[in-house]
Amino acid sequence: MVQISLPEKSQIKKGKYFKDKTGSNNLKKVNVYRWDPSSGENPRIDTYEVDMDNCPSKVLDVLNKIKNEIDPTLAYRRSCAHGVCGSCAMNMAGKNGLACTTPHADIDGDIDIYPLPHLKVKKDLIGDLDGLYKQYQSIEPWLKSSSKSKVTEIFQSKEDRAKLDGAYECIMCACCSTSCPSYWWNGDKYLGPAVLLQAYRWIIDSRDEERQTRLKKVADELKLYRCHTILNCTSACPKGLNPAKAIAEIKKMLATANI
Amino acid sequence: MENKSPLSPHIQVYRWQISSLVSISHRITGIINIIAITLICLWISLIFLNESKFESINLLLSSKIGKFIILGITWSFSFQILSEIRHLIMDLGYGFELRTTKISGLIVIFGSVICTIIFFIIGKSFI
Repeated sequence: MVQISLPEKSQIKKGKYFKDKTGSNNLKKVNVYRWDPSSGENPRIDTYEVDMDNCPSKVLDVLNKIKNEIDPTLAYRRSCAHGVCGSCAMNMAGKNGLACTTPHADIDGDIDIYPLPHLKVKKDLIGDLDGLYKQYQSIEPWLKSSSKSKVTEIFQSKEDRAKLDGAYECIMCACCSTSCPSYWWNGDKYLGPAVLLQAYRWIIDSRDEERQTRLKKVADELKLYRCHTILNCTSACPKGLNPAKAIAEIKKMLATANI
Repeated sequence: MENKSPLSPHIQVYRWQISSLVSISHRITGIINIIAITLICLWISLIFLNESKFESINLLLSSKIGKFIILGITWSFSFQILSEIRHLIMDLGYGFELRTTKISGLIVIFGSVICTIIFFIIGKSFI
């Protein structure tokens, strides 16, 4: 059901203000969403004044600087720091992306940082992605081949391999799914762009033998057709992939194939 | 613990993209159009029932508010048609590149305004 406003316990309050102590002239205000599970209070926005003269170029560097030098209680996920692991996906300046690949110079004015939208928050910028992973599991993202030999490799032509380009690069950071209004309001049933892109990746794999079953499984009013080509997913993807097109291709296959 | 977790903000913080704006407008104009078509049908059927009532509604529509409503409906229809064409092309699997979606979205937004002006000028020459 479409719910525009946030529940009462999720309403955001004004938080603390951390004044700059370095005396720098090049300050930037960073507003960060905070929620502490042990306090039982509502989430709040803390504002930090950060010295930009001594800060590397990405938003993740800003967060690291805050955590190391200003407020060690800040919690967020990060790992590889160069756009490969997908841990630091968050909402920056109103758009989802990876903190480690988003330059803070691209953001005008204050930097607003929120967790990925419409998720249960575990702490600060950490959202609960369990639902998404369960959905990912439900599409059975592994090669299914019964007839072919288990000991020799299964060959694939260059053309067939090329079909996987733009689908296999996905790092499951959830930027796309959590940017989708359809997924916000039907996330329990609608699979969402990230999972559907992966479903597509296995449907078009020439080595997979369960294409029909996979298509049938995904052909569902709620699982697939809640995509209304809002295209927030494609504009959010930090890897430059196109989940919206993959979903359209699945729809096209279902419209033209005989199943 | 699980129930205590707040829901992270969504539509409150997410920046509007051209594509999402066109998408939501498509839905809103769709609802307006359904209501408008129903009312227009009722208005037309008044011809068979009662000429004087038909005339009085005619007068209402020639007032300033009436003209605004007519222009609004014209825009709503133009927007819906252009946006629907965009959706049809997308259903065929074309126009999903980020740049293309932005351009096609802008075409729908500005095109609907241009269509409204054209329809207005054509309509004016009839009266």
